Amino acid sequence: MADTAVSRQGRRVFFRQGTVLKVAVLVILIALIVLPLLRTVLFTLHPDTIQAWADVLSGRLSTNLFYKPLGNTLLIGVVVATGCVLLGGFLAWLVVMTDVPFRKTIGVMATLPFMIPSFAAALAWGALFRNDRVGGQVGWLQGMGLDIPDWLAWGMVPTLIVLTLHYFSLAFTIIAAALATVNSDLVEAAQIAGAKGRRILMGIILPVTTPALVAAGSLCFAGAVSNFATPALLGLPVRMQTLSTRLFGMIEVGQVGRGYVIGILLVLISAAFLWAGNRIVSGRRSYATITGKGGRAKRFDLRGARWPLFAIAMVILLASTVVPVAVLTASSLAPSSANLFSDWTLHYWIGQSNPSFAQGIPGIAYNQDIVRALTITLGLGLAVAFTGMFVGLLASYTTARYRAGWMSAAITQISFLPLLVPGIAFGAAYIAYLGAPIGPFPALYGTFALLVIAATAYLLPFSVQTGRAVIQQVGGELEESARITGAGFARRLAAITVPLAIRGLAAGGILIFVKIVRDLSLVVLLFTPTMPVLSVVAYRYASEGFAQFANAITVVILFISIAATLIASRLQTKSQPWLQN
Amino acid sequence: MKGLTATCVGAMAILLSTAALADGHLDELGPDGLLPLAQEEGTVVVYSFTSRIGRVEAAFEEAYPGIDLQGFDISSTEQIARLRAEAQAGVTNADVIYISDTPVVLTELLETGIIAPYVPPRVADRVPAEYQSPLLAQRLSTKVLMYNEDAHPDGAPVTNLWQLTTEDWRGRVVMVDPLQRGDYLDLMTEIVLRSDEMAAAYEVHFGQAIGLDGAANAGERFIVDLFANDLILVGSTDDVNVAVGAMGQDNPPVGFTSYSDRRDNADEGWALQVANGVEPAPGIIFPAVLALAAEPQNPAAARLVIDFLMVDETETGGPGLAPFYVAGDYVTRTDIPPHPDAVPLDAFRAWRIAPAKTAPLRAEVGDLILTLQ
Repeated sequence: MADTAVSRQGRRVFFRQGTVLKVAVLVILIALIVLPLLRTVLFTLHPDTIQAWADVLSGRLSTNLFYKPLGNTLLIGVVVATGCVLLGGFLAWLVVMTDVPFRKTIGVMATLPFMIPSFAAALAWGALFRNDRVGGQVGWLQGMGLDIPDWLAWGMVPTLIVLTLHYFSLAFTIIAAALATVNSDLVEAAQIAGAKGRRILMGIILPVTTPALVAAGSLCFAGAVSNFATPALLGLPVRMQTLSTRLFGMIEVGQVGRGYVIGILLVLISAAFLWAGNRIVSGRRSYATITGKGGRAKRFDLRGARWPLFAIAMVILLASTVVPVAVLTASSLAPSSANLFSDWTLHYWIGQSNPSFAQGIPGIAYNQDIVRALTITLGLGLAVAFTGMFVGLLASYTTARYRAGWMSAAITQISFLPLLVPGIAFGAAYIAYLGAPIGPFPALYGTFALLVIAATAYLLPFSVQTGRAVIQQVGGELEESARITGAGFARRLAAITVPLAIRGLAAGGILIFVKIVRDLSLVVLLFTPTMPVLSVVAYRYASEGFAQFANAITVVILFISIAATLIASRLQTKSQPWLQN
Repeated sequence: MKGLTATCVGAMAILLSTAALADGHLDELGPDGLLPLAQEEGTVVVYSFTSRIGRVEAAFEEAYPGIDLQGFDISSTEQIARLRAEAQAGVTNADVIYISDTPVVLTELLETGIIAPYVPPRVADRVPAEYQSPLLAQRLSTKVLMYNEDAHPDGAPVTNLWQLTTEDWRGRVVMVDPLQRGDYLDLMTEIVLRSDEMAAAYEVHFGQAIGLDGAANAGERFIVDLFANDLILVGSTDDVNVAVGAMGQDNPPVGFTSYSDRRDNADEGWALQVANGVEPAPGIIFPAVLALAAEPQNPAAARLVIDFLMVDETETGGPGLAPFYVAGDYVTRTDIPPHPDAVPLDAFRAWRIAPAKTAPLRAEVGDLILTLQ
């Protein structure tokens, strides 16, 4: 640094290569992402806790502590990823490549399920399918006199269905973007040569979109194996454990060492799968491909299959969007989930405390805890949207403008690292990292700051991705000319890049807002009673048997998420080229 | 800026030291002396292992306007994990800790100095010495076998715990996952500690001496068999209550839950009743204790809350005790007559746990249960 201060010339060189910026970004990323993960690993290697590795990996506890949950986790990952690619691929094909009716509606609806929290879908499943295994309240179908078997009410099958219906929209987005970029010449050439639809699909479209299919599959896999809420809500009554529910349970009962070991193994597993996916895709990391490709091939004429295929698509979409929302809304009004559509009361929403009703818990509008949680959740969403987009913009700017060098590569790699880390393991890592004081810095346990920092780090892959898309839209020439006229880095960013990119940034910020507002897995461990967030409050009400309150809160989260998502998609229609004709 | 910070630090130091000085004499104060100090503090945070804190909150704020009681319903297991994490982080969120799980509380929280005992002066002579130390017990709580009175009007369908391991009760016994709730782990541990009684009960039921079948003792054998019999685990006692107690079920399960949850029968449409006659015992009875955080942020209000939860000069203990003066909870105060609707304490057959004995065995039993899930 001394050199740079001494010689003006030296300083110019220094800045031209962006070294200062790179170092700054790298330091931020290491502090946010690398250190917490490293800290967790070190904790488990401590002499007092190293025994946990043996407990988890060998010995009489290991079967139930690790191997059985691992089996369940992998089964969930593989089945959900396959199901998502099939469903998402099917819908993407319909929307992008065919003349199916209401393509735009299908396209918009297919992106919504991912915005519905997965625990909401799990709660909705319970409201419909819950049987009398646990006794007490049964779901609507059982209440109608149907006999719902255990395998349909609890455990693996509902978990697979709920997760597939949740994550397929992620696959849809990726595959649709890829299909939209399929070179129309190829398809037209094939059509001229007389190839039929099936031949074109198998011979051209599938091979060209393989990277997207693999990317979609591996992201759905990573999401599914780390999902906590769904197996937790649907699995416990039949004692189904996954690695993420085990991790949560171990930390909750104070067996932190074992919990961390399970968390580390979970990270390694999802990392291995994502790495394998990445190898195949070789470098492709985009969630949405923004291209300005012109001519589109003639759409496949579905002929007689138009309406039947439309019907199939609508069944999938209704089941994954309208049904859960309707069921949750109804069950936040119905005192008994066996009679979802009768005896409606607004008590769970606006009722005053009444000792003879739900143990005196007032409706959510009058429940101070919930109002507080709502405030904190919204504050958290806004704060993380800002910090996330700030760090994301900084990181993507740095890597986009100063591409060369190992530091840029490191920045790219590290910023995608959280994608491999399940939210619940990330939360655990942050408790270990900032839970206790570090040097002069106070402990952040139970503070708003901890939630913001952890969430910012956790969502960096998304904010960096959005940031990169935005930066690439803003041509480098404008900035070049500003630099030639002597504008500094901050000036250039404030006067050129940010104003030009503001729509994209706002859209990215909103998506991050939605992600954190509906997130459960990250915050479920960071939660403290004095710093409540909505999703955890809903989860706790659900697990304590107050399903109506849980559902009412979830409807609030849903409303916020969907509204924000629709705003974001208006802001960035450009990123969904398949919706344009 | 620097000057301001220094002033702040100085002010905080003064506040802290006066608080420390005051703490000594706070212990001597009755509610009248505590009230003005508590009102100055304005707020108090309570971690409670029972949802009844909601009613205490309302009653407390009515009795002592100007003090905001923030009650959090957190299971004992989670309280312990949280209090430890908070202590490690140097954060004090809670002022008052109302908790069961005494075997762990004594070793992990009291001995480590995370929480501190406090006995309000006006109850000192009204609670037996055994319930004043090491921590003040407010009441004795239970985890016992309950059945549905509506479906079994002639009495409990179970007379011996070993019946629960037979085909008749396959998939029809409900309890909270002992790895999620410490009092259930205490129950399992007590069954292991009472292996001799379990062995005798086995012989009574099956007519032959128990074969251990690889288990270390009769208690462990029972736990293994119970889990093998498709025991249903749920997340909270309320789930157990609904499952066992809901009226109108043809063939309701039985389950381990709190005897006192019978209080909600009328409100919730349950028919919970204790199977007090079951051999060798229906479950456990254990103290629910009250403690202060080692360094509470609101020391006066915290003491006032504990005082409020213990006493009043009325016959039944007043509004603070009212939520707990119910059939199935046994208040430790000697001057309050037992609840008329409950089995009297001396006729109640549940095992009394000895926290010191339970503590060392707990982890082992927990590991056993882990292998069974």
